[in-house]
Amino acid sequence: LARQAELLPGTLDMVILKAISLGDVHGYGVLLRIEQISGGAITVQQGALYPALYRLEHRGLIKSEWGTSENNRRAKFYRLTAAGRHGFGEEKASWKRLADAIAVSLMATPQEI
Amino acid sequence: VPGILALVAGLVARMQSLSDGLRRRDDIESKMRDEFRHHIEMRSADLVRQGVEPGEAARRAHVEFGHIDSHREHARAARGLQLFDQARFSWIDVKLALRMLVKHPLLTVAAVLALAVGIPVGLAPAHLAQAIEAPLPGDHDDRVRAIRYWNPLTMGLSSTGYEEFRFWSEQLESFSALAAFRTAPYNVALASGRAAPAPGALVTTSIFDILRVQPAMGRTLVAADGEPGAPAVVVIGNDLWKSRFGSDPDIVGRDIRIGPVLHTVVGVMPEGFRFPANEQLWLPLPQEPVAAVGGSSSVRILGRLADGVSAEQAQAELSAAGGPPILDLLAARLRLQAEVVPFGFLYMGLPRSGLASEPGYYFIQLLALSLLLVACGNVAMLLFARTATRFRELAVRTALGASRTRIVSQIFVEALVLSILAAGVGVFSIDWLLGHANLAAIAGESDLPYWLSLGVTGETLVRALVLAALSATVAGVLPAQRIIGRAVYPSIRSAEARRSGVRFGGFTGALIVADIAVSVAAVGFALAIAQQTTNMRQADELAGIPAEQYLAVEFTMPFSGSPNDAERRRFADRLATAQRKLVAQLQSEPGVNGVAVSDVLPRMEHRSQPIEVEGFERGPDDPPQWMRYARVDVDFFRALGQEAIAGRVFDNVDVEGGPAPVVVNAPFVDRMLAGQDPIGRRVRVQGDTAWHEIIGVVAHLGVNMVNSESGGAIYLPAAPGQINPFQVGIHVGSSPTGMVSRVRDIATRADPDLVMGTPVVLSDVIQGDLYLTIAMAAGLVLLVGVLIVLAVSGIYAMLSLSVSERTREIGILTALGAQRSTLVWVILRRSLLQIGGGAVIGVPVAAWLLYQLAVSSSRTSPLDAIVVAVGLAAGIVVIVGLFACLAPTRRVMAIDANEALKADG
Repeated sequence: LARQAELLPGTLDMVILKAISLGDVHGYGVLLRIEQISGGAITVQQGALYPALYRLEHRGLIKSEWGTSENNRRAKFYRLTAAGRHGFGEEKASWKRLADAIAVSLMATPQEI
Repeated sequence: VPGILALVAGLVARMQSLSDGLRRRDDIESKMRDEFRHHIEMRSADLVRQGVEPGEAARRAHVEFGHIDSHREHARAARGLQLFDQARFSWIDVKLALRMLVKHPLLTVAAVLALAVGIPVGLAPAHLAQAIEAPLPGDHDDRVRAIRYWNPLTMGLSSTGYEEFRFWSEQLESFSALAAFRTAPYNVALASGRAAPAPGALVTTSIFDILRVQPAMGRTLVAADGEPGAPAVVVIGNDLWKSRFGSDPDIVGRDIRIGPVLHTVVGVMPEGFRFPANEQLWLPLPQEPVAAVGGSSSVRILGRLADGVSAEQAQAELSAAGGPPILDLLAARLRLQAEVVPFGFLYMGLPRSGLASEPGYYFIQLLALSLLLVACGNVAMLLFARTATRFRELAVRTALGASRTRIVSQIFVEALVLSILAAGVGVFSIDWLLGHANLAAIAGESDLPYWLSLGVTGETLVRALVLAALSATVAGVLPAQRIIGRAVYPSIRSAEARRSGVRFGGFTGALIVADIAVSVAAVGFALAIAQQTTNMRQADELAGIPAEQYLAVEFTMPFSGSPNDAERRRFADRLATAQRKLVAQLQSEPGVNGVAVSDVLPRMEHRSQPIEVEGFERGPDDPPQWMRYARVDVDFFRALGQEAIAGRVFDNVDVEGGPAPVVVNAPFVDRMLAGQDPIGRRVRVQGDTAWHEIIGVVAHLGVNMVNSESGGAIYLPAAPGQINPFQVGIHVGSSPTGMVSRVRDIATRADPDLVMGTPVVLSDVIQGDLYLTIAMAAGLVLLVGVLIVLAVSGIYAMLSLSVSERTREIGILTALGAQRSTLVWVILRRSLLQIGGGAVIGVPVAAWLLYQLAVSSSRTSPLDAIVVAVGLAAGIVVIVGLFACLAPTRRVMAIDANEALKADG
């Protein structure tokens, strides 16, 4: 099992958006998918998931539709909106810049100063 | 571009989500529960697949998921609905609030009293403005407008004549119809019966269509009734039909005598219709031939706006059209403006922009709202004191997780219930008062116009609710914020020690100081007003007229003939003859010492005009000097027993043509000429061309009863027949009312067309503003009462709390041998200082008001005013101190050291 990683504040939304961008999914599915794509390194607290989903929906980044889940029960499926795709793209780019900057910073040697 | 689109989409989504959350709360919550349930089932199924036993799997799934309610709260918060949820107050809050009101009855009474006075006072200016601007009864679509001339120099109306009516009827397309009317009293009787006067109006027949009124019986006037040579007809009012004709069901078609002429009654109007104000007879206004300048008779004009035309468009058309060509020059010289206004503005003589544009309006509105604010501040103080006693409960609730918004909203609901209750009490008692008080007398009128409805309207109720909500915000939320704006843990600790830890800060202290200061000042003001009213007697002394020996009667002769010059001259001759006969007959009566004739008698409300003295002319832009004036018979002063102080009084030569001389009174000389010799100087109405020479000076003569020194007046001589209506002051030795029936007989014999008004003894005549002054004084006394009750209850609440919390401390101090008097002083010191501070601030204001208002009439010295003000302040301090401090003091005195230590140990 991979080692658990702590989600940085503000990154939960981005991870959820990524999970949903891979295909329509219900709430529980979001949890599973995040675990799956992070290789089990990221576990989202169940209590934090739904407020985040509703917040994203409130902001118009995702929208929901009722459908039937794999166990034949009515379930609410989430999907990325156009605004969501745009927002996710921006966040991803911004995150990449930050991660690169931190990585470069961490590689710095005394000779570079 | 995609960034902007995403931003817009985000905004739209947020609005949509918020609106859904508010509108479809139950639906959304139920779906949320479904979603959570699905989640738990899926997790449970996963666990079963991993080999967990189904019962245990379900339990573990539930535990992992956490508390559903808490998720739901968080989910709603994520939607931005938290604030709405917390501010939502429930029926339980209202019930709690009602319970608190019952539990603290004294506080409730004080707070309701304060707001029940404050809220109606805050509403009054807008309510009055709205009542005056309201459409006439029956004019449901608000299409009736008056057309008038406005004189910007005098800020008053200028009269319009038949000529204007004819011209505007032909010219203006903004109006579907115009009507003209003029009022006069008439002697009315059944063909054989005794005549009695009734108020009537000559109207063009279009008026009934314009006002959209239908008769209760018969018909209204029709165009044919106004044609020359048409049979004489009349429409009568419901009141007259009932009182004078015994509700005769066959009145339509019967003949009644109006003056000497028999008229056929063609209709009876419905109850409550008294156009234009309180009239009961409507006769056709005779059509007038085209007249020379100023030759047409004076009428008032109104019309119905044509369909689709706004009042502004009508005004634009009227401004472009101007007045009739032959009169327009005159109007232009006087800078008159033709205006389209609501009927109430014509009647009340208000500027086109309405009551709200009067300079005093905003001042009064501001004053009224600040009074409400003071009331709210006091209620806030009382609620603060009461909330402080519940501090322990609030601290525990906060610790248990009640949000601050939740607690604030509960206290707000308490204040809201209180203020709505107060608004109800206030508005409905005012409504009752308006229904029962003689408002007409306060306004100095015999009756209020039929269209002026001062009762509570829906709009006023809505405004009252808005003010109640605002009051609740000031009175409830501020104290709640102060109390819960404190850290929870220290609060619980102090709550455990039975101390609220709440301190009454500078705000409450300042309020009490303000209450006392305003009370002292208001009592001073009320006293000054009272002093003014007693000055009436002084005016009598100055005038030197034994008013109780005079009977005052108004006579009118209505002019209803064809309005041509010959007819007018005949009418004037007839009026002159009637007046001469009347006066001669009255003078020959036994016991009559003199008969004075004028358009206004001493003690009555005199009209004013802007006046200038030769050598002191005023520029067109200077503020006008207003002087009252009276037109008097040449024997007027002699009949009143007045001699000239300087020069001479009028004689017959003064009315034999040529420029008329004038007599002025002593206050005129003081004010306009600074006491210089007036004889031989000339005066004129500002803007007029004719000068009048001053030939004599008389005493004050009761021109301004409240303040004799500002009662300057000019008297113009008038020959018999020149004043209509005219006042007759009959000097009868004793019991003037015994003369009434004789006067009626003599008048009927002098001319049956002479309409006699209601006779009054001159000493019973009171100028309108006096009633207003008395009403104002009564209002001030009420205000002072409320402020004192508020100050007393505020101080009492603070002291009670302080004594309860310091019982233990007092017990210890007593046990250690402290003097009781010292302890009382420790508890009361702060409050006594506040009361004293208020008195010290109030004294100079009260003294200034007393001096300012009294100085002009009585010889009050500044020292007198200060002594009186100090006396008033001392009285208020004693009353407030006694009522507020007595009970807490007794409680301090009664504290037993042992008991106090045991109880709190």
